Amino acid sequence: MTAEQIPEAVRRPRTAARPGTERTTSAGTTPTPNSIRTGASRSTDLPRGSMTVRRRRAFYMFTSPWIIGFALLTVGPMAYALWLSFTTFDGISPRWRYVGLGNYRELLSDPVTWDSLGRAGVFALTSVPLSIVAGLALAVLVNRPIKARGLFRTLLYLPAVVPPVGAGLIFKQLFNRDSGAANGVLHVFGIDALAWLDDPYARYVILMAVLWGAGNVMIISLAGLQDVPRELHEAARIDGASAWRTFRSITVPLLSPVLLFQVVTGMIASVQTIMPLLIAPVPTPAGVTAIPQTNYMYMMHVFAQYFAMGRYGYASALLWVLFVLILIVTGIVFKATSGVVFYNVDPEAKK
Amino acid sequence: MRTQAGAPPSRRRFLALSAGGAAAGAAALSGCALQVAGAAPGGGERVTVMVKLDDISPELIQQAQKELGIGITVVQDDITRLIAMLTNGSPPDLVRGSGALDVPYFAARGVAENLDPYFARSTVLKVDDLDPANDLWRYDGRTQGKGPRYGMAKDFSQDAMFWYNSALFDKAGVDYPPDTEPITYDAWLENAKRLARRKNGQTTVYGGSYNGLGLGILFTNLTAAAGGSLFSADFSRVDFTKPEARKALTWYVDYAKARIGPSLVQPNPDGWDGPTYVANRMAMSGSGYWLGGMINAEPKLAEVSRLAPAPVFEGGPRLSSCQGATGMWMPKKARNKDAAWRVFEWFFGEGPAKARAEGGWGIPSLKSLQPLMPHKEDYQQRVIEVQKAELKHFSVTPFTPYIKWDALEALINQVIPAAMNGRISVDTLAGRLNSVVNEQMKRGKEQVG
Repeated sequence: MTAEQIPEAVRRPRTAARPGTERTTSAGTTPTPNSIRTGASRSTDLPRGSMTVRRRRAFYMFTSPWIIGFALLTVGPMAYALWLSFTTFDGISPRWRYVGLGNYRELLSDPVTWDSLGRAGVFALTSVPLSIVAGLALAVLVNRPIKARGLFRTLLYLPAVVPPVGAGLIFKQLFNRDSGAANGVLHVFGIDALAWLDDPYARYVILMAVLWGAGNVMIISLAGLQDVPRELHEAARIDGASAWRTFRSITVPLLSPVLLFQVVTGMIASVQTIMPLLIAPVPTPAGVTAIPQTNYMYMMHVFAQYFAMGRYGYASALLWVLFVLILIVTGIVFKATSGVVFYNVDPEAKK
Repeated sequence: MRTQAGAPPSRRRFLALSAGGAAAGAAALSGCALQVAGAAPGGGERVTVMVKLDDISPELIQQAQKELGIGITVVQDDITRLIAMLTNGSPPDLVRGSGALDVPYFAARGVAENLDPYFARSTVLKVDDLDPANDLWRYDGRTQGKGPRYGMAKDFSQDAMFWYNSALFDKAGVDYPPDTEPITYDAWLENAKRLARRKNGQTTVYGGSYNGLGLGILFTNLTAAAGGSLFSADFSRVDFTKPEARKALTWYVDYAKARIGPSLVQPNPDGWDGPTYVANRMAMSGSGYWLGGMINAEPKLAEVSRLAPAPVFEGGPRLSSCQGATGMWMPKKARNKDAAWRVFEWFFGEGPAKARAEGGWGIPSLKSLQPLMPHKEDYQQRVIEVQKAELKHFSVTPFTPYIKWDALEALINQVIPAAMNGRISVDTLAGRLNSVVNEQMKRGKEQVG
C-alpha cells in the first residue's frame, strides 16, 4: 500500500460497514461513489465534519512523535545555528557580538573554505558513482540463482553494518605504514611500503572505505532488481537481446528511481563524511587540521572551526551554506534526471 | 467505531500543546538529572569531574566514596563537552587542564574559580609545600606565574628534556649525550640522522622524536631557547619572523625534512612516542621525566634508557621549561565547590597523589612527596640525579590568553606541511603563520576585552 492509498483505505470500511447508508440516503436514492467521497450524504448519518476531525486527529496523533522530534532536534538546532551564524560566539567568552552577514562575507573570501568545498565535491563526484556501480554490480551478482546466495548477500552486506568508527579503526590498522597488512602484501611482491594514510595516498584509502561499505547500495539495488517483472526479461531474451542490452534497456530504466535515490542520498552523505578524521593519526580538535591535505574536506573545516578555533558563529555559517548548497544540488539532480528516470507509478499523481 | 463530536483541534493549538508537553517533559528529566548529580548513594555528596578516564579509575572512585563519603561522576575530558556544559550553566565541579596552556585562557574569560581562599584554609595542600611548577596555574590578568592560583598540577616534568635508548646508540656507534651538560639542537639532529634505520620503505627505528607537547608550545619554548619571545609584550600578537622564532622554525622544518622522526609529513602510526619507544623502535624521545612511568614498567628497557638535559641553541640561554603541568581547575559556576575542593585535596595531596609519585609518571607537585619518586634501582637513581640537576634550570614560558592552544596548534598544522615538503621557504612560512595566528588572536582579544 502506498501513502496515496491510505485515505482510500480509511474510507472503505465505513462504507462497507454501513451498507444501508450506502444504499439509501435521505433522498431515498442510491448515492454514487462520488457523492460519498464528496460527503454529500454525510449530514444524515454522521455529525458534519466528524470524519474530517477523526482523520486530522489520527494524522496528528500518529505523526506527533516525529513532529516533536523534528521541532526539538532539527528545527530548533538549525534555527539556533542560524542565529549563531550572525554572531562571533565562541562558547565561553563574554563579549561576543552580532556581526550580521559578516561570517558569510568572510567565508566567501576564505580560500581554505573553497579548497575544502572543492575537495568535498571531487570526493562526491568520485565516491558516489563508484559506490553505486559497485553496489549495483554486487546486487546483480547475488540476484542470480547461485548456491549459498543468502550467505553471500549477508557477507556482502555485513561491512555496511559496521559503525563508521569501527570501519575507521580497521582501515587505520590495515593501512598502517609500518605494521599494516596492505604493506605486508606489497612486501611479498618486493614493493617498498607506502605511507597509505599520508598524502597523496590517503584519498584512495577513503575511497576504499566507501567501497567497502557498498553493501548498503547493494541491498537497496537488490530490492529494486527483484521488482523488475520477469516477463520483460523473458520477452527481451525471446527477441534476441543480449544480456548487456537487456540490462541496459530494461533493468537500468526500471531501476532508475532507485538509482536516483542513491545518487541523492549518497551525495548528501559523501559531503558530510567524517571518515578523514576517523583514520587520522590524531583524531582530536587540534589534530583535525593535521590530516592529509587531500582529505581536508568541508566537514573537517567545519569541525576545525567549531572545536579547534572555537568559532561557533563562523562554523554555523559554513553549515548553513552547505545546507543551502545541498538543496540546490539536489534540485539540479532532480531537474536533470526528470526525463530519464522511469516511474511505474506517477509519484505526483495524488497531489 | 464511535464517532466523536466537537471542534477539531487547530494545528497551531496542537503544535503548541505538543511543544509545551515536550518542554515540560524535558524540564522533568532535567530535574531528575540534577537530583542524581547532587546526591551520592547513601546520602553523601556527589561531584562531577572531567578528566581522562584513566586519571580516576573505578577503584579510585570507590576509594573516594569510602574515604571521603563523596561520590565522583567522571566525565571524559573533552573541550567540546566542556564548552557545552559551561554554556548551559552546569559545568563539571573539577576539570582537567594544562597549567602551562589553559590557565590564561580560562582565567581571562572569568570561568575559573580563584582557589587562593581554599589553599589558605587547607591543612592538606599547604602553599609552602607547593613546588614552584604550580605557579604555572597562577595568572594575574596579564602574566602567567603571578597572581591568584586557579588550579594545581598533579605532577610536572621538564618537557624539553629527552630520553634515549643507549642500546640503540651503541648499535649505531653514537656517543651518549652527557648527563648534566646539554647538547645543542644541531647535535641532537645529527645524532638522530645517524640513529634512524629504514627498510623497504618502512621506518624500523626512528632516530628521534622532538614534537614537545604540541607544536604551539614547542615553538614558544624553542623561541625562548633561542633567546627570544614568540609573543609580543602584551601577549596580543605572535611574531614568527623574529630571528629567534625563525631559528626555531628552521630547526624544526629541517628535523621534519630529514624524516628521522615523527612529524606532520611522517606521522607515527602509533600516534605518540610511548609505544614506539617501548618497542625499541625510537632512539630518542623528546619527553620529560613523566615518560619514565611507562619505561619503568619494562625493566629491560629501563636499564638501557637514560634521561638527558634539554638541548640548547648555539649561543642561546640554558632553559628547561615545563610545557604541561597537567592538573585540575574549578569552574566558577561549579555547584558543589566545597565537596569538589575536598576531592581536590584528596587527589592532589593524599592517597592518589602518593601512588602517582611512586609510579614515576612525573615529578610530584608537592615537595613533601618528591622523596617517593622511584629510586630503588641503579637506573632509577641515575635518572633522578639527572633530573635533580636539571631542576636548577627550570623555566616557565608564559602563554597568551588570546588564543586557545588547540587553535594555535590547528593553525600551525594547517600551514607548516608546505614548508616541510619544501614547497615554501621558512620565511614564507613565518609570514603565513603570523597572518593566520594574529588574525585568530585579534578575535580572541576582542572577545576578552
